[in-house]
Amino acid sequence: MWPVPRLVSLFAFVALATFAVADEPYGRHQFDDSSRSHWSFKKLQRPAVPAASASWGRNPIDAFVAQGLASAGLTPAAPADRVTLLRRVYLDLIGLPPTPDEVAAFVSDTSETAFERVVDDLLSRPQYGQRWARHWLDVVRYAETNGYERDGAKPEAWKYRDWVINSLNGDLPYDEFVIQQLAGDEIEGSNADSQIATTMLRLGAWDDEPADPLVDRYDQLDDIVGTTSAALLGMTLRCARCHDHKFEPLTAKDYARWTAIFAPLARPQQGRTELTRDIGPHAEVAAHQAMTKQLDEQKATLVARLQATSWQVVSAAATDGRLPIAQLAALGDQAAPATGVAVSDEIVQIAKEIPGGALTAATIEPDKRNDEQKKLIAEHNDKLLALTKVVAPGEKRTALDDVQKQLAAVQAAYPAPLPQGYIWYEKGPTTEVNHVFDRGDPRTPAGEVLPGVPAILVDELPAAPQPTGHSTGRRLQLARWLMSADHPLTARVMVNRLWQHHFGDGLVASENDFGVMGEPPSNQPLLDWLASELVAGGWRMKRMHRMMVLSETYRMSSAGNQQAMRRDPTGALLWRFRPRRLEAEALRDTILAVAGQLNLKAGGPSVFPKISRAVLETQSVPGNGWTPSEPAEAQRRSVYIFVKRTLIVPELDVLDFPATEESCAQRIVSTVAPQALTLLNGEFMHEQAAAMASRLAREVGRDDSARIERAYTLAFGRLPSENERTALLEFLDRQRGQIAADSPEEETVKTIDFKALSALCLVILNTNEFAYLQ
Amino acid sequence: MNPNQSPHPTQQFTPCGRNRREFIWQAGGGFVGTALTYLLAQDGFFNQARANTPGKVSSLDPQPSHFAPKAKSCIFLFMYGGPSHMDLFDPKPELTKRDGQPMPNLENDPRFDAARTKGKPLLGSQWEFKKHGQSGIEVSALFPKVAECVDDMAIIRSCHADSFAHGSGLLQMNTGMLRQGFPSLGSWVTYGLGTVNQNLPAYVVMLDHRGGPIGGAPNWGAGFMPAGFQGTQFRTSGDPIIDLSPRNGITRHQQRQQLDLLGQLDGMHAAEHPLDSEFGARLDSYELAFRMQQHAPEAVDLARETPQTLEAYGLNQETTEKFGRRCLMARRLVERGVRFVQVYSGGGHLDENWDAHLGMKKNHELHCGETDQPIAALLNDLKQRGLLDETLVVWGGEFGRTPTSEGANKGRDHNPRGFTMWMAGGGINGGQTYGATDDFGYAAVEKPVHVHDLHATILHLMGMDHEALTYFHAGRDWRLTDVHGHVLMDLIS
Repeated sequence: MWPVPRLVSLFAFVALATFAVADEPYGRHQFDDSSRSHWSFKKLQRPAVPAASASWGRNPIDAFVAQGLASAGLTPAAPADRVTLLRRVYLDLIGLPPTPDEVAAFVSDTSETAFERVVDDLLSRPQYGQRWARHWLDVVRYAETNGYERDGAKPEAWKYRDWVINSLNGDLPYDEFVIQQLAGDEIEGSNADSQIATTMLRLGAWDDEPADPLVDRYDQLDDIVGTTSAALLGMTLRCARCHDHKFEPLTAKDYARWTAIFAPLARPQQGRTELTRDIGPHAEVAAHQAMTKQLDEQKATLVARLQATSWQVVSAAATDGRLPIAQLAALGDQAAPATGVAVSDEIVQIAKEIPGGALTAATIEPDKRNDEQKKLIAEHNDKLLALTKVVAPGEKRTALDDVQKQLAAVQAAYPAPLPQGYIWYEKGPTTEVNHVFDRGDPRTPAGEVLPGVPAILVDELPAAPQPTGHSTGRRLQLARWLMSADHPLTARVMVNRLWQHHFGDGLVASENDFGVMGEPPSNQPLLDWLASELVAGGWRMKRMHRMMVLSETYRMSSAGNQQAMRRDPTGALLWRFRPRRLEAEALRDTILAVAGQLNLKAGGPSVFPKISRAVLETQSVPGNGWTPSEPAEAQRRSVYIFVKRTLIVPELDVLDFPATEESCAQRIVSTVAPQALTLLNGEFMHEQAAAMASRLAREVGRDDSARIERAYTLAFGRLPSENERTALLEFLDRQRGQIAADSPEEETVKTIDFKALSALCLVILNTNEFAYLQ
Repeated sequence: MNPNQSPHPTQQFTPCGRNRREFIWQAGGGFVGTALTYLLAQDGFFNQARANTPGKVSSLDPQPSHFAPKAKSCIFLFMYGGPSHMDLFDPKPELTKRDGQPMPNLENDPRFDAARTKGKPLLGSQWEFKKHGQSGIEVSALFPKVAECVDDMAIIRSCHADSFAHGSGLLQMNTGMLRQGFPSLGSWVTYGLGTVNQNLPAYVVMLDHRGGPIGGAPNWGAGFMPAGFQGTQFRTSGDPIIDLSPRNGITRHQQRQQLDLLGQLDGMHAAEHPLDSEFGARLDSYELAFRMQQHAPEAVDLARETPQTLEAYGLNQETTEKFGRRCLMARRLVERGVRFVQVYSGGGHLDENWDAHLGMKKNHELHCGETDQPIAALLNDLKQRGLLDETLVVWGGEFGRTPTSEGANKGRDHNPRGFTMWMAGGGINGGQTYGATDDFGYAAVEKPVHVHDLHATILHLMGMDHEALTYFHAGRDWRLTDVHGHVLMDLIS
């Protein structure tokens, strides 16, 4: 018995029905009532806002929340104190803590609009986009290498990261945000920016040496299908690759249809090498390419003429003895002194610098040179030409000069290279026929399909896409369908993500799964109202942020309440503000900020913070693809750290940086000992603790109490309580004593003092209060 | 539910796309109690983790197995690069006879990657095979000491995998999948069983002194599982774990004071949030780390081993010292309850590992020379200590090699269509061979064993049903063995 060839994978239990014909009409009528009536498949309708309570609430969000709480017999928590609220909204909106001055200003500003002004200020800062872009980058599996054996770099991928940051900072409406990412090359007015947006489609992991090229092709498409359906629809369409989804009304044909939308995309590559594409308005790119092509042709003609003339001269000189090639060739190879060669010093001098092979190749008629010879000639063209001119008769020399002049003119006429983008491309307005596959195996087509969307979401077969001049128009049609105002999922899914990052969990807690198997919404009227607000507000996201963080719901304290905890242990009904651990990036950025080391430089290629040798040793070539940046660069915000699929920066990795192979809606929050080791003993932490200690010493001098106060104001925005102050003072004394006792040699009081202060800073940076948003 | 789906009898048992609660409900009486308890426990934990609710449950707490395990721990000796089965454990007299002749017929078979063998001559083994032990199993002269252990080993000669490339081949052997992003075998074991010794990592990886394998960390990554399930790299010199020791001359006394202060500050903070035990769990992780600082160095401190033991593992010889040290550390770790230890032989590229393109002789004499004595010592040592019965030892690489010669110095190319792996201890019925490749060692033809089958068998020996060990992620339950895998009952005593 031979081993049965394995399938692409996935659960292939149910034999797929055979499809004999091209795609037939389809729509939600195919499914039974229970599927059709699932809440998230029904068109979005705007619910009425409940009557506001007289005693609690500021905006409609609060009215919905109050209604939910009342029906569960719960009451909202008291408002958070002002310092807590300020730290919360800073970390939430910009991922950095408020400075002591900002805290002081806010605390002393008792006007009704103080908080509103803070929110508006934060939303207008570039750090807002840097913070919130990272949430989206999780959803689109952002990484800058391909993973697998070579883990090759994705050139220019960082431009997409900057595009997301800039789009958020510029409050690009969500519909445009999505349309550009799906079809930025197909839209009217397509330009370099909108084309960069489509990098999203090419961010996936990719095996450049696949076990099976056909399977690899469909794995690449599967990555796009999985990412786009999870990110934009909140549907687990990927599960329908091999067979109809077991528990969602998603069929293998739905999967194949969605795949067909992206099937025309081609990967610019040369073997294992990834290529980028010229980007810009299509007309400009076309003109640029036409001009380049024309110049290439002119150049080729001139080079051929130059080669032909040179060859005539060289071969004639070789024949009549003016260029004794064999001797000169030996000269070039050995760089020996010129003895016994009956030619001028000038010739000897030039010939010395030309390898023998190149000289010999120059005597061969250009058409008859092999690849190796052509390469040699090209490499040593300048010297060969100089040599040729020495022996060329007058008229030939003039001809050579003339061609050279023309070549220089052609060279000068080349337009500046266009900017490059890491994007796919389509080969033209038409493409090949697409298939559904038996058990998802691309070697067994089981019927043709047209591009389309899941049947459960539409009433009828959508119109055929309108091709553009250079592409099929399929992605643009998908984008437009997603952005229809009453789309059941688009707005709900996105507004849920915004809610999730403000409040910890989405109103649908399975943020990438709005299907039958997903979590039911904890407050559907609120979700639907927010979704319709997003649409009604022109898909502007800053408006939604503002509404959410200005609500009374957002301003509640995070204090626990035994009774409420029993009734609603997850806090899904929002009876308090749920505390949550900062993500790895926000924690790292906050540490840098408090230590006074953060470099706020924005944009550009990614940076490479130092990684310890021990970690680099996990690579097959230690250090490969990771050349550390200058310290100042390494201290930029974490969103600018290079995301290398096989080597994630340990401080981020250990704190649950997401897996980059597929869309991540919600990060895991794990609590394990290696995190403590990294945060207690890691080099980064010690550098920052020392920097913070220096900062304290510099800013408030030698008084322990003043240093402790400053440390607390920097780290927490508040002064220590008396108990905390006592504990910290005692610690400094004890630690100084211990350091002195442990030191093998006499240390200066100053050194001991600095070490103890650094230790104090290290402890503060490790506290729960520091690591949590509450 | 949808129009194209027909009812199918197996549907009831597939975990695909079902949440755990529903799965348990549907499985009903078909499942034994322990499995249900186990699944429910997992369910509880992950719902809590997902929803950030209070609870001090550590993801690494010991979990009941599905059924009584044969092995409590597993040591996976990973021969990265692809050792040559027909030069080690799979004698091929016909190949030797036809040495230098062209490859027969097989090149037209679509199952082969003809490009790797086309126009290349057959290469017979340059090493003599001899029968060993009571079982009389043949092993080549490259592994004289391992050969003495054949009566404890089940040698699987019919392994096959799906990739000709190191990168995806390593991923498949480690995670079951050719694609990156899935939990490794050790992560699945740790997820399924937890650990009995929280003072040490549950899943340890020891890399070769020449570097990591191609593809790096994803080979011992946790994929979509929490990072706590990923392998922890242990080093043989300096701190065994990265960032284990206090830095900058900070002493343990000083750090104790620091942790006491942290406890005080966090304690005052927790007083304001008495119901959020997540805060307490995080503080606990610091104490665990502090204990780990003591236990991890002790676990790898070979000074406590007798000179006889050190000599047995080859620590007194330059060739065997490095791999021997890793093997001995592996024994000490499983002794202390570490669940899964992966030890790499070979790192970097080409002759730095078992990737013998440039010549069989130079390459395999080097790597066999480095590993033969330590592997034998490990098996004997485990046996003497009564640990072999509860420790499964697995040996193999990501694939085998071609029967054809490559290059001027008689190298061999990659070959996933047929290769050898072996298992010993931990419930394995030793002294047997299983399956066979064709006369040339090209492809598994008799009782073929896919990587999924190896994984299913390893899980089984550790007390887990590979079809029931699932993890819900992105809309469905996932398994180490995907939809495949058969337990090789014939190997088990």
